[in-house]
Amino acid sequence: MNNIIEFNNVTYNYSSEDADYIVLKDFNLNIKKGSFTVILGHNGSGKSTLAKLMNGLYKPQSGSVLVNGINTLDEELDLKVKSTVGMVFQNPDNQIVASVVEEDVAFGPENLGLPQEEIRQRVDSALKTVNMYEHKNDMPHKLSGGQKQRIAIAGVIAMLPECIVLDEPTAMLDPKGRQDVIDTIYKLNKEHGITIVLITHFMEQAKYADRVLVLNNGEITADGTPIEVFSKPEFLKNSGLDIPQTTELIFELAKKGLNFKNGIISVDDTANAIAAALRK
Amino acid sequence: MLNDFTLGQYFPTNSLIHRLDPRIKLLLTLGFLILIFCATNIYALTLIIFFVVCLIFLTKIPLKMYVKNLKFILPILIFTTVINLFYTNNGNIILEFWKIKITDYAVVRSIFLSLRIVLLIIISSALTYTTSPNSITTGLESLFSPFKYIGLGRAVHTMTMMMTIALRFIPTLVEETQKIMNAQKARGVNFENGSLIQRIKAIIPILIPLLISSVKSAYDLAEAMESRCYNGGENKTNLKVLKIQKSDYLAVLFFIICCLIVFLFNIVF
Amino acid sequence: MSFLEVKNLTYTYSKNTPFFNDAVEDVSFSVEKGEILAIVGHTGSGKSTLVQHLNGLIKPTKGEILFCGQNIWNNEKNISSIRSKIGLVFQYPEYQLFEETVFKDIAFGPKNLGFSEQEINESVLNSAKLVGISQEYFNKSPFDLSGGEKRRVAIAGVLAMKPQVIIFDEPTAGLDPIGRNNILNIIKNYKKEHNATVIMVTHSMEDVALLADKVLVMNNGKKAMFGTPKEIFSDRNKLLSVGLDVPLITNVLLKLNELGFNFESNIITVDEAVNAIINCKGGADNA
Repeated sequence: MNNIIEFNNVTYNYSSEDADYIVLKDFNLNIKKGSFTVILGHNGSGKSTLAKLMNGLYKPQSGSVLVNGINTLDEELDLKVKSTVGMVFQNPDNQIVASVVEEDVAFGPENLGLPQEEIRQRVDSALKTVNMYEHKNDMPHKLSGGQKQRIAIAGVIAMLPECIVLDEPTAMLDPKGRQDVIDTIYKLNKEHGITIVLITHFMEQAKYADRVLVLNNGEITADGTPIEVFSKPEFLKNSGLDIPQTTELIFELAKKGLNFKNGIISVDDTANAIAAALRK
Repeated sequence: MLNDFTLGQYFPTNSLIHRLDPRIKLLLTLGFLILIFCATNIYALTLIIFFVVCLIFLTKIPLKMYVKNLKFILPILIFTTVINLFYTNNGNIILEFWKIKITDYAVVRSIFLSLRIVLLIIISSALTYTTSPNSITTGLESLFSPFKYIGLGRAVHTMTMMMTIALRFIPTLVEETQKIMNAQKARGVNFENGSLIQRIKAIIPILIPLLISSVKSAYDLAEAMESRCYNGGENKTNLKVLKIQKSDYLAVLFFIICCLIVFLFNIVF
Repeated sequence: MSFLEVKNLTYTYSKNTPFFNDAVEDVSFSVEKGEILAIVGHTGSGKSTLVQHLNGLIKPTKGEILFCGQNIWNNEKNISSIRSKIGLVFQYPEYQLFEETVFKDIAFGPKNLGFSEQEINESVLNSAKLVGISQEYFNKSPFDLSGGEKRRVAIAGVLAMKPQVIIFDEPTAGLDPIGRNNILNIIKNYKKEHNATVIMVTHSMEDVALLADKVLVMNNGKKAMFGTPKEIFSDRNKLLSVGLDVPLITNVLLKLNELGFNFESNIITVDEAVNAIINCKGGADNA
């Protein structure tokens, strides 16, 4: 089995007092094991709903979501699903349970009923992975946003998940905290082989992915490598997204007659491409 | 307004008392509080005072910290003492004016009562100063764990989970309150001046946003907990398991000796 | 005389409070009418503490804040009146909404300042229009709006007080690209319509390059740099040393210079970069 998460014809409605909103309709998506997927989309595009369907927090009204082949509707195997697909949310304050860092990281393994020695060993190794080991006895509210978010990630990896879904984990962080969190996520994917689904509206974070999805009104409107998706700047802008300044520069220069391969994101690639075009 | 609010009372000096098992500390605190009221004569009470002075010394916590807490209850202390002076007519009258008579028995009783209150405060302060809120929670959970044999396991777990979350969110809420207060000040609300009614009215723009953000936090937290496999505490294990050590046995022994001497004094004198 | 001048501002926090404000040490700067000043610095550099001084929410330990030449603390009893002249929009301002309707919430500030009924109506209408909240929304509960709309209503609530100086503390934090652009346009428009002074705390160097007339760089509670964006961004090493960087686009041109080109160091927006590169290309083609 190659896919860790499979959406088969999923429909999900969100009902409020006034009306029913269809968030997703006949939605299909596969996430490959070990992959790094970035999902882009403006607010209200259905990103958060999509995330919460991935570990069974929300259940589809029709169709099915399979995690390692297990249907998320299966109540018996609910803990298996949730420990396979971990979830990190936007607001770092609202996902930390305990008032001591290591006790918070231990929360997941404790719920799984693991023996004490194993919890200790998992907590220590999770904290080391996110570079927060020296803070293990600190109180979370004394930490910075980026540090809190890394504690939240440690709390998830202590459950030894195969996949982590992160729903705008850096939206409330400053640039330093943002970079620390992204570096941690990247490391988890590359060194620990954990599948990553990163939902974000920071376009530059897409460069770390091997697959970028654009979500608009509950539909996938673009699906490809970062280079493929970023080679259509007009399309991204129409989807309510931004493009990094580097991509915009290349695009504008191309309009003025310079020749480039499209979809360049990083500063180095951009400078190299421009240098090559100017020297031609 | 909020600046006087100290977060928790824990004062980490890592003394002998700090290292005692929280369950033992909770039980002994309760024991001492009962003992205070069992000491019926001045000799027994003096003995307890001596023990408490030793306790203060052992916690390595500056005396002024205890005095601070006592200052806090000073009005109540004075009030109850004075009330007690007039309360009884037993004994010999030593002072009489208008319709009020004060007897020697009443004076002794008042002194006793105020001493007891002071001891009570010092002992409970010693508990909160030397035990982190988390340890108190763990200790309580463990002490109440026998209730699971009569089908109350879920209730005990829910209670401790609530305490844990409350402890975690108090600092966050305090911070939030300060932020909202500042934001409303910037919109022209005046918290410092105005009549009582105006001031009470000024609380609404703080309370409503605070309530709404707390409800949102609660929702978020519930989803985060569910995502981390929380299912109401069934089969939950613990990272930190409490263990009774030699010093704990010594503390219990010390307490038993105290009890014996106090009862001895009660009988002899 | 400057419009708003900060002189040797120092703030040391008292250790006994659980509310931790970062310290500020001997900071001086001034800003003129109609200018946009950006304040940048990493978290904990003292920028939030600094802006809360500007409208009298925090009293400086030392130094003074002069608004139109008057020390704002001259008449301490009347400090809340300064808050009508110098408005402050906090981070995540949507968390301050509390009234039953959007209209009432926007009107809350003007009401506190004792505006007349007619003035209130007029300023609510104006500021709602400025933030792009249509009148259909006036009777809705602010809690039924989307995140971006809530933020705009909250901003309208401060704009309705008609401040001459308006301070924004990270106004775009947590918003998606559409939301960010909306807020930046509101800032530009308010400045244009009222010739107001804007002070904006931000992490985005790209926004600084696009909007600001002056930049104040804070580091560990002290003023690290002060000047126009072009001046500030021409010293990348100094910015790096305080944990900041130049805009992405400036980095591209610096990289090009490393590769042997000779672009000027004061290019900070995409448009400027496009022009410079096309000129360079033209020059090379002609030669």
